[in-house]
Amino acid sequence: MASTAPEKEDPTAPAPVLGPGQTYTTVTQKISSIITSRTPLGWIIGVALALGLMQCFALGVTWLLIKGVGVWGLNVPVGWGWAIINFVWWIGIGHAGTLISAILLLMRQNWRNSINRFAEAMTIFAVICAMQFPLLHTGRPWIAAYWLLPYPNSMGVWPQFRSPLIWDVFAVSTYFTVSLIFWYIGLIPDFATLRDKAKQKVSRVIYGILSMGWRGSAKHWHNYEMTSLLLAGISTPLVLSVHSIVSFDFSVGLVPGWHATIFPPYFVAGAVFAGFAMVLTLALPLRAVYGLHDFITDRHLNNMSKVMLATGLIVAYGYGMEQFYAWYSASTYEGYMMQNRTWGPYSFEYWMLILCNVAVPQLLWIKWVRLNPIMLFIVSMFINVGMWLERFIIVVTSLHRDYMPSSWDMYRSTPWDWLLYIGTIGIFLLGMLLFIRVMPVINIVEIRLLVPRKGHDKKPDHDASADASAD
Amino acid sequence: MATESFDHPFLNKIRTLGLLFGALFLVLTVIGAISNPQQFYQSYIIGYVYWLCISLGCLSLLMLHHLISGRWGFVIRRLLESGARTLPLMVILFIPIIFGMHNLYEWTHADVVANDPILKFKSPYLNETGFISRAVFYFVLWIGMTWLLTKWSRTQDETGEPGLKSKMINLSGPGIPVLILSVTFASTDWVMSLEPHWFSTIFGFIFVVGQALAAMAMCIIWVVNLSDADAFSEIEASKYLSDLGTLMFAFTVLWSYVSFSQFLIIWSANLAEEAPWYIKRGQGGWDIMAVALILFHFALPFFLLLQRAIKRRAALLLAIAVLMLVMRYVDLYWYIAPSFSHGGPVGFHPHFLDLTIPLSIGGFWLAYFAMQLKGAALVPLHDPRMAETFAGEGH
Repeated sequence: MASTAPEKEDPTAPAPVLGPGQTYTTVTQKISSIITSRTPLGWIIGVALALGLMQCFALGVTWLLIKGVGVWGLNVPVGWGWAIINFVWWIGIGHAGTLISAILLLMRQNWRNSINRFAEAMTIFAVICAMQFPLLHTGRPWIAAYWLLPYPNSMGVWPQFRSPLIWDVFAVSTYFTVSLIFWYIGLIPDFATLRDKAKQKVSRVIYGILSMGWRGSAKHWHNYEMTSLLLAGISTPLVLSVHSIVSFDFSVGLVPGWHATIFPPYFVAGAVFAGFAMVLTLALPLRAVYGLHDFITDRHLNNMSKVMLATGLIVAYGYGMEQFYAWYSASTYEGYMMQNRTWGPYSFEYWMLILCNVAVPQLLWIKWVRLNPIMLFIVSMFINVGMWLERFIIVVTSLHRDYMPSSWDMYRSTPWDWLLYIGTIGIFLLGMLLFIRVMPVINIVEIRLLVPRKGHDKKPDHDASADASAD
Repeated sequence: MATESFDHPFLNKIRTLGLLFGALFLVLTVIGAISNPQQFYQSYIIGYVYWLCISLGCLSLLMLHHLISGRWGFVIRRLLESGARTLPLMVILFIPIIFGMHNLYEWTHADVVANDPILKFKSPYLNETGFISRAVFYFVLWIGMTWLLTKWSRTQDETGEPGLKSKMINLSGPGIPVLILSVTFASTDWVMSLEPHWFSTIFGFIFVVGQALAAMAMCIIWVVNLSDADAFSEIEASKYLSDLGTLMFAFTVLWSYVSFSQFLIIWSANLAEEAPWYIKRGQGGWDIMAVALILFHFALPFFLLLQRAIKRRAALLLAIAVLMLVMRYVDLYWYIAPSFSHGGPVGFHPHFLDLTIPLSIGGFWLAYFAMQLKGAALVPLHDPRMAETFAGEGH
């Protein structure tokens, strides 16, 4: 009775992870040509722009160091302004890289192979940008190490170990170190490929040093696989821990709007949400400019959209729980905080946040949107903005009106806040552009694994599936 | 056309033993209930929530499986479906809670509410009509989704119609958010409001995770015991045990993470509205239980399940799964039982009803589950993704 037709028309079958017709040679050629070909004009313009933005950073930092943190919009109830907002925003963006490289590797999701490299690069540059803010917020970053890092000293001065701010120092530096090592280990075989393909002596020597004598022997590969798995195992808890600790910065305090037990999972989901939005913001133009459609396929767009949709829903759940339990708590302060957040002086920002993070991402339920690069880019930009607004709402609306009405005040950012923020975008862009130019943006070796081998085609032929369902 | 069915000696054994023990413990429970009705309701809510969580965990894992289609999901799909199909039984078993509302929930007493501004404030939500109508609403949602998913799955066995797969995926997508939200509010209604002044925004999420963990442990127990069934030998189900073990590990870690987060945030703020919940549970015998949770709900399974060699040995994995099911009960007991102190010092006073009720409900639940499992083939027959997933298995 069963016909074999159903299997052929399976409407739920996923798109391939690699475009048709790719072989070992074309994969290597295509990816390394991004580096070995002439520098495109667009890249030079991009670098010029990034360097321009970095001037803002230089300006902002100089004035800050001359005058002190008072040049920012900080005041007495709002002692944490854009510095913490931008710190959390950047750290969050980094999370997609770790999720893709570690968790998806452990879950044997091979579609990650073409996006993990630049997602990891993104993590590293995003963490570098993030670290600027707490360091600069100390006002005198050159002596920050004195009270941030707990080193044995004759005066017996130690940081407050019960403060999540000190946990942040450990969490973020561990995260940065592990991400950097993971990224570098993955690059070694590709550096060897570039070394072998290099035409100039200088690049041969540089890539030769970076590839650490990689010869591709079976033993090398064995070590490579083991190291990757171990690092994935170490990174996985980091995905949870870093942003959970960032959420503790707020939630272990007493301030209504900060003190909520849902914060850790909701911050982690928000981080992954923001991170995937940023991956798409970078990957979509990259794919269009360098013609990487065979490597970043519909399957990737679809899967990344689904991750964004799922994490976006968790974030929306977080907003909903905050609203409901602010009422259910029957606490005057919780209730007022939520009313002030929703209808107070920052209500415009709050509703923009709901629009960007809750309403617009619902478009991702539609398959057409998930597969349309332009729509996806627009949705990602909304999320990038929305996740920044989320941190703004959490930081500012909670602090500016807390328990004592006598100390209420409004918070307004200053041009110096803007300069620093825009400046870090410049650092991030410059880092990504340099990375695209000198390192293989997609993992050549892992993409080769996706090339179908003769007789070992991943997809079953129809006879096989008909047999399986015949009785 | 006759629907496929499934038979196995273990099923019949469980059905018979389940009914037998269910009835035996029911008799003991009735004796206990007559002598101490207040204690009966207090023990009943724990036993009931425990088994309801397993049914709902099955439903959530079933929807997760439809969305991500991993191999592990095809192995346990029929177990998950049978688990979710026990929900009608849980509706009947909900009736005692309605009768016991006044014994369990302080906010049902008009005189208490009148003198308590906080409860008065909450009364638009915490009131008897709302409580019952929300319960009806939750059950309609849960049973509705279960009914559709299992109906389509069985029709797919018969006809192999390709459109059914899309239907299951399309329901599961929105189904998971709906389930998480309804479980959040159900856990607020049924458990959190036992201490109506207390609140925690992560509470519902902890229940969602705990359910998934309990359901996964239950599935592992069944897979190990049914591994010699023909359908399981054909797809070499025991090969996927280590995948199931990994998922159980993931849920164990997730449970520890959310539980610890809630504790740390409440402990460090030390607010009068929140901290008493943990203070109660950290003294007079409950502290020992808390330590037991850390050791056996987190540390031991964590270190055991980290090792691949252990996950591959069916007998060991079975033992860990049983441990997790026991610890799920300990966890719920630790959450619920101290709620009934009503302001006085909380003693650790376990009662024999705390054992007979979950065992009695469990007997009937397992018998009902076994009957559901008999109703269809042990693995899906014509799922288009299944052939593809299993054919992709190259090593």
